[in-house]
Amino acid sequence: MKTEMPLSKPIRRLITQTEEMLDTQITLHRQPDADPQGTLVDVYTYDMEKNVNVIIFPAQYIGLLKDFIIAKHCTNLLIKGAAHKKGKYQVLSYTEDSVYRGLRQIYLDALKDEARKEDKDKLPVKKLIQMLFILFTHFNDDINEVPWNAMINASVYHRMPKIRKTQLYHVMKESKNDMDEMMEQENIVPRRYFVLNKGMFYARDMFLAKTLPADELMPVLNIPQMKKFNHLEVKEMLTTRWTHTAWYQSKVFGDSMLEIVDKHLDLVEWNTPPTLDHYYELYQLGVNLSNHLLSYMTMKDWFIWEEPKHLLKAHEVKGEYEKQALKKIFGDLLGDSWGDT
Amino acid sequence: MTAKEVVELAKKGRAYAQRTKYKEAMAYYNKALSMDPKFAECWYLRASVLIDTGKPEEALIDCDRALALNQNYSDAWSKKALALFNLERFEDAVLAATRASTLNGNDAMAWYIKGVCLDELGRSEEAQVAYGKSLELEIIQDMDAERKKVRQS
Repeated sequence: MKTEMPLSKPIRRLITQTEEMLDTQITLHRQPDADPQGTLVDVYTYDMEKNVNVIIFPAQYIGLLKDFIIAKHCTNLLIKGAAHKKGKYQVLSYTEDSVYRGLRQIYLDALKDEARKEDKDKLPVKKLIQMLFILFTHFNDDINEVPWNAMINASVYHRMPKIRKTQLYHVMKESKNDMDEMMEQENIVPRRYFVLNKGMFYARDMFLAKTLPADELMPVLNIPQMKKFNHLEVKEMLTTRWTHTAWYQSKVFGDSMLEIVDKHLDLVEWNTPPTLDHYYELYQLGVNLSNHLLSYMTMKDWFIWEEPKHLLKAHEVKGEYEKQALKKIFGDLLGDSWGDT
Repeated sequence: MTAKEVVELAKKGRAYAQRTKYKEAMAYYNKALSMDPKFAECWYLRASVLIDTGKPEEALIDCDRALALNQNYSDAWSKKALALFNLERFEDAVLAATRASTLNGNDAMAWYIKGVCLDELGRSEEAQVAYGKSLELEIIQDMDAERKKVRQS
């Protein structure tokens, strides 16, 4: 790693350790319009010319906010790299057939919801059809992200005590963004999927609330915007916010998912020496946790474990997958021009 | 060439530097400085490019030139702290960062460099205080940026 930017000691150590363990290189890249959570462009997912991984973070993050993003993505890289070295690194991808199964199930559930609506509230057919694949890919993105996010946060928390306050801020911010996501589509998305999607994020938040104990909070109390959280522990902060969202009546789903997350991640000994074996074990737990969540949501046949290349290829031809799946579901009713524009 | 034209040259250099086109940025800064060597901000801007291109020794010289013109130039102190950090002169970097943060208490980078250097010197408790201050400032800036984004959308 070669960088001109200042990095705190534990972060430099983590980067070096990651590079040595995986026999790879890491480059840090500041970008004004980067995703606030940062982005990892890694050799295990993308075809890269050199054995160099890139961690991109927002240009305005200059201190600990940047350090946390680096810590998170290094941990993610370690998990991916360990899987690649010790077995096979795979992600949840989709095929034409699996898209059909997913879209069909969403459509049937959507019809049930629509039947209960008054005429004035019913979704226009075109909108309903468009929603099917959008929702499908949304779940693909989320299932490839949420279980790992919980695990990576827990790992960083245990391994990097010096950046816990920063982590807390990031967790709170991410939680709020995820909570807001899909809220605008609340009346469009079938209830079941709205609840399941929120349930996944709820489970992650509650798991992290339990992992990040109260004494770490007291953060940054000089910040006026954070004062309202004074004397609240993390769990209370996160729970209070969740109770104000529209889906709270369905909390039971979120609690069940939390049980699933707990069941898998409680097995981890977070402070064990950071070896390849340890990160490979995390990878395997992540796979099992993802499978368990998919089973719970009855989406097991929507996605398949494949190499990252497979998913990148699927993204490239997703328009065709959608078109074929819709043809199978709706037959001639759809018209030939669907999806061409 | 008028003062206004020199400022324009520096602005152009800055625009190139922001797009990491350092060679072009340096050309504009050099031209501006050859016209007006008493342009403290331009020395500071050139120091920034020198740091980004891995030349901390030269950056340090430029920071000192800027500071010779204006002892209270907080950004130049902050940049000097960064140059010193990159040269692993941690004690000196702490002094420069302290000066920067005294002149401008809202300089998150100065607080952060101070924290990193104190940590390197084994002064953990002091480092935590500096990190804490840096984090506070970063969070405030981040929240402001978020609010702006929401207003714009």
